[in-house]
Amino acid sequence: MLQDLINALSLGSIYLLFALGMSLVWGTVGILNFAHGAIFMFAAFVSSVITDQVRLPLPALIVIGAAVGALLSVAVQLLAFQPIMRRAKDHRSGEMQILIGGIGVAAIPLAIAEEVTGSNPFGFAGSSYVTSTFSLLGVRVTSTQLMVVAAALVIGIGVIVWLRFSRSGLALRSIGVDPETASLMGVNRRVLSLSTMAVAGGLAGLAGVLLTYNLGAITPESGDVLLIKAFAAVILGGVGSMAGVIVGAYVLAVAETIVLTQTSGLWVDAVSFGFIFAVLLFKSEGLFGRREVRRT
Amino acid sequence: MIAWYDTNIILIQSTFVGLLMALSLQVPIRFGVFSFAGIGCYGIGAYVAAIMTIRYEWPAAAAIGAGMLIAGVVGYLLALTVRRLGGLYLGMATIAFDLIVGVLAVNGGDLTGGPSGLFGALADVTTLHLVLISAVVIGLLAYSERGAIGRRVEAVREDPELAASMGIDVRRHRQAAFVISALLGACAGGLNVLLRTTIAPTDIGFSLVVLALTMIIVGGSRSWAGALIGAMIFTWLPGFLEFSGQWQKVIYGVIVALAAIWVPGGLLGMMTDAYRSWQRSRRDAGSGDGDRTPLGSRAEGTPA
Amino acid sequence: MHFGGVKAVDGLSIDLTEGSIFGVLGPNGSGKSTLLAALTRFVDLTAGSLHLDGEEYHRIPAATFARRGVARTFQTVRLLPGLTVEENVRLGADRIRGRGIRERGKGDDDVAEAIGRTGLRGLERHRPGELSYGAQRRVEIARAIVAKPRLLLLDEPTAGMNQSERQEISALLRELREEGLTQVLVEHDVQMMVDTCDHLFAMNFGKLIADGVPASVVREPAVREAYLGKRWSEHV
Repeated sequence: MLQDLINALSLGSIYLLFALGMSLVWGTVGILNFAHGAIFMFAAFVSSVITDQVRLPLPALIVIGAAVGALLSVAVQLLAFQPIMRRAKDHRSGEMQILIGGIGVAAIPLAIAEEVTGSNPFGFAGSSYVTSTFSLLGVRVTSTQLMVVAAALVIGIGVIVWLRFSRSGLALRSIGVDPETASLMGVNRRVLSLSTMAVAGGLAGLAGVLLTYNLGAITPESGDVLLIKAFAAVILGGVGSMAGVIVGAYVLAVAETIVLTQTSGLWVDAVSFGFIFAVLLFKSEGLFGRREVRRT
Repeated sequence: MIAWYDTNIILIQSTFVGLLMALSLQVPIRFGVFSFAGIGCYGIGAYVAAIMTIRYEWPAAAAIGAGMLIAGVVGYLLALTVRRLGGLYLGMATIAFDLIVGVLAVNGGDLTGGPSGLFGALADVTTLHLVLISAVVIGLLAYSERGAIGRRVEAVREDPELAASMGIDVRRHRQAAFVISALLGACAGGLNVLLRTTIAPTDIGFSLVVLALTMIIVGGSRSWAGALIGAMIFTWLPGFLEFSGQWQKVIYGVIVALAAIWVPGGLLGMMTDAYRSWQRSRRDAGSGDGDRTPLGSRAEGTPA
Repeated sequence: MHFGGVKAVDGLSIDLTEGSIFGVLGPNGSGKSTLLAALTRFVDLTAGSLHLDGEEYHRIPAATFARRGVARTFQTVRLLPGLTVEENVRLGADRIRGRGIRERGKGDDDVAEAIGRTGLRGLERHRPGELSYGAQRRVEIARAIVAKPRLLLLDEPTAGMNQSERQEISALLRELREEGLTQVLVEHDVQMMVDTCDHLFAMNFGKLIADGVPASVVREPAVREAYLGKRWSEHV
């Protein structure tokens, strides 16, 4: 039982690290980035390729992963989303095209990783970091799990504090509520969007490296699965609410763990899809989200 | 010709199935409904047709028809359920619906064959059947793109409020989009399973949504012809890209990304635009100066 | 009608008699467009009622109401960019056709007539994006009148038009009135309102501040203060 809880906690932390960036971008800049999963995977992939050549410790891989994620995310924003938004005739059609553009862009890193790995799982066999396992009261905890949970909570709370108390956080929240007024008040939307995308990409890269350590290896397709789960966590918590996404990620992980232990395990995926459906239908603003204040 | 047909029969058949599948996503988009439920209905159609064929030995037409009927009902119920959702949220809810269909297939026990799926759905579906069905579907859709129906659909997509002020029942049109999408998806799924004789849960995942969407984005989302162009490209492209060796998938990815970003109307949209500007230049060159004043004096002001 | 606690139109009671043009005058944000939206069932009433031919209609959908012979234009131009001028106008004719009210083929004549009356002849095959703003507005009007409605609601139909275009539209509206078409006209141009309307309602802050014969309404001190103060001098 306690073991299940530990597992749920580390699973939820992975969801959270992945979903934080997605939620940040969606709730403020208004972009639902479907390339987020590919960015996550590709950051881990590049780290894996590098550490196969040079034996690197964990902190170095985390830095590489976060940097690759941030760069890729900025590239997607510059090369895909900005041109789409410039050409879109209104917010509604722009939103759709960004979703489609994200799916299109995601195909490139996925194809590269699949090509190089032959669609086989990749990991950090070359890294100098080795996961150690502790046994406490009959519960097994790995050092990586502890790190994942700590990273998720620290970063999650850090983002909340930053959004609430810093000037740039306030500016970011203001464009999430009313982009036009925010621009009038001197908020540079373009720069802010770019830096937010960079932060989100960095978080995705970090999550990619940590998840790969946690699982031992991931496949190039891992990003797609996480994308849907993160979407469920964001929707559950409420778009635009960082506290919501934290709760959403852990609720989803606990629910999945319960389903996993109580059934054959084949129903696990139904949990996230079911959550998405149920929340959208019955409480579309999620648990903590604000009601839609944006004018349509 | 016969030899070419024999060697490429799989690709030829896949083109038509791909066309029907792409249309099942395109029709709702044309109605302004961002629903991907057609792919879930593809799964429903495939599984129902396979079960009817294997277990009850129904003839192909009845097995596919049963799948379409069930999918149509599901599509209608889905339309009622998600009637208050729009845009992105509707898109994501319907993707969740597609994936739930996959989970149900995995957990269907003996009925759906679980994770390994169903085998041996043998039926006498031929390429001729595919061509005939596609021709009928294209005929009906082409009709719906013209005249009064075409204008109504255009109004419902571009400006639902305006459509309502014209006396158009927007809600009914949206429901119709869901049902038509479900029927097309189920038809494609049923045909494909009877041609290939197998179906597994992994066949109807997120990647199928991406494939169908890709066809429409590159081909064009405004007309059936766009779906046909897209289905042809993405069925035959992998073969043509063989020269590029192992980077084939990357090239594929670049094409999709470029189309999504820079050619929102797809190839068909590009051709239509080119044709229209040619038409315009011809008209401008031909007409005298009589009625051209409104064109020349394009007001810059916006209403208060 | 409430917009988040603010009453947009309050305590307004208006009665439209057949075959007249009713003008609604008021500054921006005074509730004119909300009034039209409420009359055409685009926003729900929080209180009050609406009647057509003595029959309550404030619970039916906008589309159903439109099919009873009510047409409207919008404050911003709302044409379908993918259709030609002729097709856009034809969209307005479609609602009558197919419901068996009118025989086939008659639609073509109606479309040609509406295009002719709004001065759009020769532009049938253009797309809205190729037209001047004033021409786009005239397509909107053509689309609204092509179905021969019983009641026509116009939300600033001449915004962005020049003086001579306004006079043409004013003449067209009066011509339509002679044919028995009841109209509600929302406009900023006071001179045009006085010239065109039979009856004027002046609004401010969602309330009716004056109503009656146009010439006397515009002389009311409350009206001058609310709206005309500056503008009236520009127009006279």
